[in-house]
Amino acid sequence: MADRDLRLPLGVGVLVLLVAYATLVPWVAGVDDRVTDFSAARLAPSPGHPFGTDSAGRDLFVRTAAGLRVSLLIAVVCAALSTVLGAVVGAVSAAAGGWVDRLVMRLVDGINAVPHLLLGIVLVALFRGSLVAIVASIALTHWTQVARIVRAEVLSLRDRPHVDAAVLGGASRWRVVHRHLLPAALPQALVAAVLLLPHAVWHESTLSFLGLGLPPHRPSLGTLLEEARSSLLLGGWWTLLFPALSLVLTTLAVAAVGSGVRQRISAPRRGATLR
Amino acid sequence: MTAAPPALRRDPAPAASPGTRATPAPRPSRRRAAARMAVRRLAFAVPVVLGVAVGVFALAAASPFDPLAGYLGDRYLTASQDVQDRIADELGTDRPWYLHLLGWLGDLLTGDLGTSRSFGQPVVSVVAERLPWTMLLVGVALVLAVVLALVLGSWAAARRGGWVDRVVTPLCLLLQGTPPFVVALGAVAVFGVGLSWLPVAGLTDAGAALSAGQVATHLVLPATVLALSQLPWLLLSVRQSLLGSLAEDHVTGARSRGLAERTVVLRHALPTALLPFVTVLGTRLAELVVGAVLVEEVFSWPGLAQAVVTSATELDFPLLAVLTLLTTVAVLLGSLLADVATVLLDPRVRADG
Amino acid sequence: MHVPLRATGGLVATAAVLTTLSACSAPGTASDGADTRRLVLADAYEPEPFNPVGGHGETGSSKVYDGLVRLGGGTGLPELEPALATELPRDDGTATTWTVPLRDGVRFSDGSTFDAADVVATYSAVLDPASASPIAGNYAMIDRVEAVDERTVAFRLAYPYAPFPTKLLLGIAPSEALETPGPAEESALNTAPIGTGPFLLSERRGDRTVYTANPDHWGGEPEVRELVVVYVPDDNTRAQRMAAGEFDGTTLPPLIADTMADAEGLTVVGHPSADHRSVSLPAGDPVTGDPAIRLALNSAVDREAMVTDILGGHGTPSYTPVPAVFGDSHDPDAAFRHDPDAARARLGAAGWVPGDDGIRVRDGVRAEFTLMYFPEETLRRDLAQAFASDALAVGIEVDLAAVARPEFRPRIPVDAGLLGGGDVPYDPDTQLYAALHSSYTRPGVGGPFDNPGDLADPAVDAALDAARRSTDPATRAAAYRTVQQRFVANPPAVQLVFLEHVYVLADGDWAGTEPVLEPHAHGVSWGPWWNLRDWRYTG
Repeated sequence: MADRDLRLPLGVGVLVLLVAYATLVPWVAGVDDRVTDFSAARLAPSPGHPFGTDSAGRDLFVRTAAGLRVSLLIAVVCAALSTVLGAVVGAVSAAAGGWVDRLVMRLVDGINAVPHLLLGIVLVALFRGSLVAIVASIALTHWTQVARIVRAEVLSLRDRPHVDAAVLGGASRWRVVHRHLLPAALPQALVAAVLLLPHAVWHESTLSFLGLGLPPHRPSLGTLLEEARSSLLLGGWWTLLFPALSLVLTTLAVAAVGSGVRQRISAPRRGATLR
Repeated sequence: MTAAPPALRRDPAPAASPGTRATPAPRPSRRRAAARMAVRRLAFAVPVVLGVAVGVFALAAASPFDPLAGYLGDRYLTASQDVQDRIADELGTDRPWYLHLLGWLGDLLTGDLGTSRSFGQPVVSVVAERLPWTMLLVGVALVLAVVLALVLGSWAAARRGGWVDRVVTPLCLLLQGTPPFVVALGAVAVFGVGLSWLPVAGLTDAGAALSAGQVATHLVLPATVLALSQLPWLLLSVRQSLLGSLAEDHVTGARSRGLAERTVVLRHALPTALLPFVTVLGTRLAELVVGAVLVEEVFSWPGLAQAVVTSATELDFPLLAVLTLLTTVAVLLGSLLADVATVLLDPRVRADG
Repeated sequence: MHVPLRATGGLVATAAVLTTLSACSAPGTASDGADTRRLVLADAYEPEPFNPVGGHGETGSSKVYDGLVRLGGGTGLPELEPALATELPRDDGTATTWTVPLRDGVRFSDGSTFDAADVVATYSAVLDPASASPIAGNYAMIDRVEAVDERTVAFRLAYPYAPFPTKLLLGIAPSEALETPGPAEESALNTAPIGTGPFLLSERRGDRTVYTANPDHWGGEPEVRELVVVYVPDDNTRAQRMAAGEFDGTTLPPLIADTMADAEGLTVVGHPSADHRSVSLPAGDPVTGDPAIRLALNSAVDREAMVTDILGGHGTPSYTPVPAVFGDSHDPDAAFRHDPDAARARLGAAGWVPGDDGIRVRDGVRAEFTLMYFPEETLRRDLAQAFASDALAVGIEVDLAAVARPEFRPRIPVDAGLLGGGDVPYDPDTQLYAALHSSYTRPGVGGPFDNPGDLADPAVDAALDAARRSTDPATRAAAYRTVQQRFVANPPAVQLVFLEHVYVLADGDWAGTEPVLEPHAHGVSWGPWWNLRDWRYTG
């Protein structure tokens, strides 16, 4: 892995391309995805349809873009919600200390003890087809990692001189958290948010794949892959390949960006401890 | 420079698993400490399990879900209202949720878990019938993943930049970016549809008697896919911690004493590197269970994980509730085992927490 | 000489894609060697609990129970033939009391003797509120069941009901097993059935159910000695395993089944059904309740294209709920032509004019409505998408909504739904009465799926009632033709297609397959295997 330094720019580049594909293509193509033509179903890739067509005769180049857009949008919302929730809980927990901290950490352990997808399945099964349920099932299970990171960061910052100074200067505990600790922990929280994105994309696509997430007529990476299962038997390998490829690329690009950024943020300290 | 941390690791601080903290401490009796920790963790498990039960029942009550639908199936759509009311009354599905929960907990204590509507069998027999197959699948996958991770991970670390490292490490990163169900679909497309090498579904060929050979051939693809879904995290963790420990003083010392590289890696570096590996293993257990859900679904493996999806899609509440609890308990036990192993293995870990 | 499955009844030309393949081709691993008298089938559905009171085998498809009557085969409307009855039931001239003489010397699988008490116990248990039987509503015409003597039962009905013999397909369980009243869901019969049927349940393990021939069956021991049914819910998996030669047969979606039409040793068979798909149109909505919109939608949808492209040709267009198989009761002129221009003209004439976005508007109301479908059924998903696309072409916007069963039901009076029908298809009455009679529009009568479009046409009511009360075939047929004419003049729904249920069979040494009109339910209880008791070994 000699080219680690390339990972960040490469990840950013791929991600920008993917986001551009997801947002621009459906818009430029101007295809009404309510219009179907079943007589043109499952056409192989051709110059007219570079990714082929799906089981309802829609162009897959456009539909994959639309699916990616939906999946990314859900993922961004989920990651943002979990990050806010996690950052608040983590900071409060670390600042409050004592039994509050212990209780919160037990709660975090408790939530982590239950497989997240299972919680998601239960939640989404009981509130079938509801977008709120999908978002909630992801956000409510993924905030714990952010909470841990932020808590650890706040704990390590608490003993820094400027914080001590603020405390000695008579600032209230909450003011210290608000003014000094939270801003300092923010970069770590943001990295955590970025790293949550692929999880959220996975989670959504998995739920949709199992038939519990988005409705089948709505394009998302999960619903497209679920549809690919039957198209595969009818010879439509392209229905699996292109959505799967965009899912994997998205995950890898986001992961590269996240770990690249984290490397940069923590490089000085990490270098000191490991060398 | 060290290897990059696994990109999608759930917990960025590998040593910070619940209940362990890497601080130097005296070790009066590691075993007693481990036992104390186990008891404390078990005590912690009870409220978690109870919390999950309360959560599931409360959610069910708040949802628009009607348990009758699971019982009536297609007929739910056509049965008239008074028929429905009568059935609801007979089955007691119209009680408030906390009474339902209390009744259910009482039944749980007596071992009567109710009847699974989607399987038309008592929940107990659904579990008894399917649990062994899930254990087999998960067990084989876990062993496979651990062995592969240790062998390939050590190899990649010991010969850093060698061909194994250059092949395996990027492959792991790619796998980390691929959801298990996509791996499973790909395996079906290639080995099932394309090459027709291996059976892609079920426990045995249809109609064939249940035999070890049959099950073994049917186990190959699902177990491999499940192992692959967890392999990157385990392998990269072995590789990374081994690289770390290879740089430690006692290893450098051993090497300077002129010991063979093989001995240095296996005897001196690997034991230290195993600790974080066991911890990562503990944190991956939940993901392994999740992977089992997807793998069983794609490969029609008649295990409990598949029943999770069935009970969820058919809103078979009695079964769904039991399976949720069962999974929680399994994951709690698994991570407890991992932590006990960590305490027993590592003199430096203090078992408080 | 091995004869590949011979269709004695003559398969409908459109129904069957029969590839007559030469004799000795390997039939696949499942039926090799010593297992030649065994069949291994894959089903898409788990076997339902084996309790007749819980609804098992209501339409006569049970392998382990016999009804008083059973279905005969053929491409037309099936004739009923006596099973546990010695002859078909006779009514008292008013169709309100039906007397059935019972077969002598029949034994249940537990050794007990079959008599009138068992018939009384089974039907009483279905009607007993304590059983919470999900099929009780289908037997609501029965006032009481009496044992006239040990070998005769009498059914006394609350109102005249000409098609009553079709209600005698229900499997009969021994009275001993039904002695204690209680929910059907908890009965021991669910897992340990006790029946008189041609097969015995010998194993139920995980994904497989094994039946063995009943040596003491009153009709003789079936030549199919063992039947293994494997539960494989996923269509794709089932198709792969079928193609790999694991099964002797399975049920598949039409397009996937057709990929195997050319495979050596495999035969694709379609069975006609009264199973239809339609779009319900709630009457209370200003859009879906509007007669012009209803008529326009009926001419806007391209049913032929749906049959060709979505069903792969395995089906027929449906204009009313009555399929052609009902013979004289079917009116071939009660149909719609695919004509989007006519639909546009009709909408324009009724005051629905296109707005800026192409969607029509009248008095500030947009021609827009929601159509619900079950997310897990790809056929309904595709039909819903095609319907929405066709409607959009004439300026009506259809918003699709994937709605799971529990939520679907209460929304039926409010939103359009992609419905299936034809659950109990052996008489036009069961196909039409609850679907179109105005009494089902009153609150509390029936369920929301009964007459979902709230049709209230006195002429339709009168014809439905006349047909139900009369036992004269000509009178009944005329009445049902009237119903269809009224239906197309003022459609309460958009009927889309009648499905052909499609099956794939591995060629084997068996003769005796015959088509049969199938109900909404399908799977390997139906298909070529519905009359497994009559299959003959030719190897």
